[in-house]
Amino acid sequence: MLSSLPDAIAILLTVEGLLVLVMGTVLGIVLGAMPGIGSTVAVAMVLPFTLTMGQAPAILLLLAVYAGSVYGGSIAAILINTPGTPQSAATCLDGYPMAQRGEAGLALGWATIASVAGGLVSAVVLIFAAPQLAAFALEFGPIETFALILLGMTCIVSVSTGSVIKGLLAGMIGIFLSTVGGDPIIGEMRFTFGQWQLFAGFNLLAVVIGVFALSEVLMRASVTLSQTSELIDFKGIVLPKFAMWKGRLKNLGKSVLIGNLIGVLPGTGAATAAFISYAEGRRSSPNGSHYGTGEPDGIVSSEAANNAVTGGALVPTMALGIPGDAITAVMLATLTLHGITPGPKLVEDNPTLIAAIFTGFFVINLLLLPLGLILSRVAAPILRVREAYMMTAIVLLCAVGVYFVRGNPFDLLVMGAAGVIGFILRRQGFPMAPLVIGMVLGPTLEITLRQGLILTDGSFAAFFVGHPIALVLGMIAVVALLFPLIRHQLAARQSRESKV
Amino acid sequence: MVLLALFLVGGGLYAATFGQNYSSVDTAQSPVFFPRIVLTLWMGLALIALVQAIRTQSDAAPVASWLRLGLLLVAAVIYTNLIGREGFFLPSVAFAAISLPIFGIRNPVAVGLYAITVPGALVLFFNYLLSMPLPVSRFTHLF
Amino acid sequence: MTVKAFSGIVASAIIATSAGAEEGFPERPINLIAPFNAGGGTDLLLRGFAPHFAEAIGGDAFVSNMAGGSGTVAASALQGQRPDGYQLGYFSITVSTIQPQIKNVPYDVDSWTPICSVAASPTLLFTNADTPYMTAADVVEAANANPGELVYGSSGPGAMTHLTTVAAFAGLGIMDKLKHLPFQGSGPAVKELTSGTIQFFGDTEILMSRGDFRPLMVFNSERLETYPDVPTATEAGIAAPLNELYLWGGLFAPAGLEPAVTAKLEAACETAVASEGFQEFAANSGTVIKFRGAEEFDAFFRQQYEANGALIEAAGL
Repeated sequence: MLSSLPDAIAILLTVEGLLVLVMGTVLGIVLGAMPGIGSTVAVAMVLPFTLTMGQAPAILLLLAVYAGSVYGGSIAAILINTPGTPQSAATCLDGYPMAQRGEAGLALGWATIASVAGGLVSAVVLIFAAPQLAAFALEFGPIETFALILLGMTCIVSVSTGSVIKGLLAGMIGIFLSTVGGDPIIGEMRFTFGQWQLFAGFNLLAVVIGVFALSEVLMRASVTLSQTSELIDFKGIVLPKFAMWKGRLKNLGKSVLIGNLIGVLPGTGAATAAFISYAEGRRSSPNGSHYGTGEPDGIVSSEAANNAVTGGALVPTMALGIPGDAITAVMLATLTLHGITPGPKLVEDNPTLIAAIFTGFFVINLLLLPLGLILSRVAAPILRVREAYMMTAIVLLCAVGVYFVRGNPFDLLVMGAAGVIGFILRRQGFPMAPLVIGMVLGPTLEITLRQGLILTDGSFAAFFVGHPIALVLGMIAVVALLFPLIRHQLAARQSRESKV
Repeated sequence: MVLLALFLVGGGLYAATFGQNYSSVDTAQSPVFFPRIVLTLWMGLALIALVQAIRTQSDAAPVASWLRLGLLLVAAVIYTNLIGREGFFLPSVAFAAISLPIFGIRNPVAVGLYAITVPGALVLFFNYLLSMPLPVSRFTHLF
Repeated sequence: MTVKAFSGIVASAIIATSAGAEEGFPERPINLIAPFNAGGGTDLLLRGFAPHFAEAIGGDAFVSNMAGGSGTVAASALQGQRPDGYQLGYFSITVSTIQPQIKNVPYDVDSWTPICSVAASPTLLFTNADTPYMTAADVVEAANANPGELVYGSSGPGAMTHLTTVAAFAGLGIMDKLKHLPFQGSGPAVKELTSGTIQFFGDTEILMSRGDFRPLMVFNSERLETYPDVPTATEAGIAAPLNELYLWGGLFAPAGLEPAVTAKLEAACETAVASEGFQEFAANSGTVIKFRGAEEFDAFFRQQYEANGALIEAAGL
């Protein structure tokens, strides 16, 4: 593939190639930054245009919009606490407290650095190690995936700001919501109470946008109107100084690695990576105890991981013809339309095209930095509108975004209900991130558990015998779950002893 | 109050799992096997949270104005319900006209201008520029 | 003015407007509804079809998506709409004939005015190229020797992939000797086929060609040109009605559409399907085109609805 690099760069350096890369990235960042509008809707918006383009520009446009929107999602999450996608939910946890302290520019600076680093490393990994990583992905059967998702679930404890019990309860509500609709193995209906609208279940994005964005608007209506005209103190992205990087590079590297590896596994996704990385950062980072209070490391953990997933998800897509997530599935379908059969021979048969896609992906991630800086300068005055205009616009945009996810007006009802219930729960001190984790991971947890039980003829113990990866992941999950408890006990004992 | 309601909802849903008949004979592959585990944990956690809440007695942050909050809550719920039936444009205009004063914009010109141009721009952009129509009202297919 | 005269005027006015509607059809853009997400196979086929259809009918046509519930949400929503010809759904065999028989959805065989069929691809049963199973007989032997050892996958219960494997193994009489492992979509299932967790999968030729897979039989009336050595299901020993299975799809309007409007839509569909542009699009994307007119498609649809009952029963859905 490396031998086709010159041809590939020639494709990128055409007017159309450059235009697609820059325009696509700008469009992705702008759309992703709008509350309520995420990658899915952004990709659906540009899809019709790709039908009339050539092979390479079509795929590059999709990739640019995808990567741009994942990065853009962090902007709304940090500035107004309204993530448009589940993968930005972990970014809110530290990004928004930083913005409230008046460090919005710096918080976005960290998000930008982490996103670019995550994206670039994943692009390099994609170019040099795609076949090896694809082989790794094949090692992950249903049982291994189950263990990984179980590990992901333990993140609920780490992201429960405030009460752990309430966090766990919110997590259970999230998992339960994901079970409504068709049973994944038998196909029979559960908790639909005869309503065909519920046959498809609750849409994840409708619930996420409801409990985060809509409930945030309600939260702001419940407090005294701010007398200051400026809603957010934001004048553009401030990149962190080199001195501030000290002690954070290890966390950055680890987060990129986690994002990359999880991205490679089909059916897990950016939200899973962001949460697992956040939990791992909280455990191992020297600044871990500040997580949740506006700690830059928390933003780095989440953003580096979720952007690294974009490159990771391309690995099985390009090396095996198996889509890593919903967006890469769209890319494969687009390739098919252009007469290219995705599959193990894809790289072999179309070396120039694939080289162009991979280098284009690298360039897109490179572009995130300057484009992010420029766009934030342009957007800063717009963000200084009065709260009333901003809040109303958020509700309208959320309605638009949720509607276009599945084209179903019922999802708007779900968003409205989720907004009100989310508002009530948040006032009671329930964290909402665990609910999102539950809803994201719930379906995979259930289907892999039951697939595993089919394969082992109903023996749960057999999950860990003969599945070393599952065993290791399971043990990490147990440790991750017990670690905070042990630390808590130790701290309590020490304080008691010091009193004596 | 909220915690008690949560506990009762969990219990109600758990009870609902017994109301349905499923063809599967295998416990682990029954459609309600996994939800029952989740709901059991739900009820247990809600009970613990309830006990904690009774013992510590902490109140949520006070609401500045129940009138403003209540109005917005009702408006948001009605708005999300109406889009499917009445289209995107008309309910959005109505919602903006209610929401802006709630957040302190008293100038009728500003409210009117915003309430018409913002939803209007969205409709123009999606329905006409992108051919990706938002729901339309029953009166006309144009918006 | 008497009541009778008034009602007469009203009635004639209604007739006049509806007659006018037929004459001037289409007065506004026609909405082609894909019951799956943007960017999926069905959606892209419809997006390739829409411009040619718009040209043929002399109006405007756009594609919208309404995803969820294996396509049943879109079909359920369309079923309740006024049959004015401006909203058409592109439904596959599963959405229109399988799902309404296994789920309590508000539509059934009588809810539609079929307009035309557009595509129909035969399905194949296949295995990973490194498994030792060369023919259906090998599979029967292995399954009988070690019951419960072999696993077949599907993209979900009741999906086309599930029905293909059911048709194969029920037809061969070894249904209870194999395990069924459903996945969420074809992607994860194909991954497990590659890695060896499952041994068999069934889908159309285009999906099979994505991996290093070996076809065992094709559910077609005759052998495929591209795989002349692969036997048909009938040759592999599978009796009717399980021996032929096509992933077909076509345009449906809600029941009660004016015959004149149906005729217009049908004619436009025929022109669009035959158009050079769409033929080229189909060749590129590996779609097997199969046009049927409104009457023929209606009969075919009803016959399929009945026939697939046997498949549903065999699948235990």
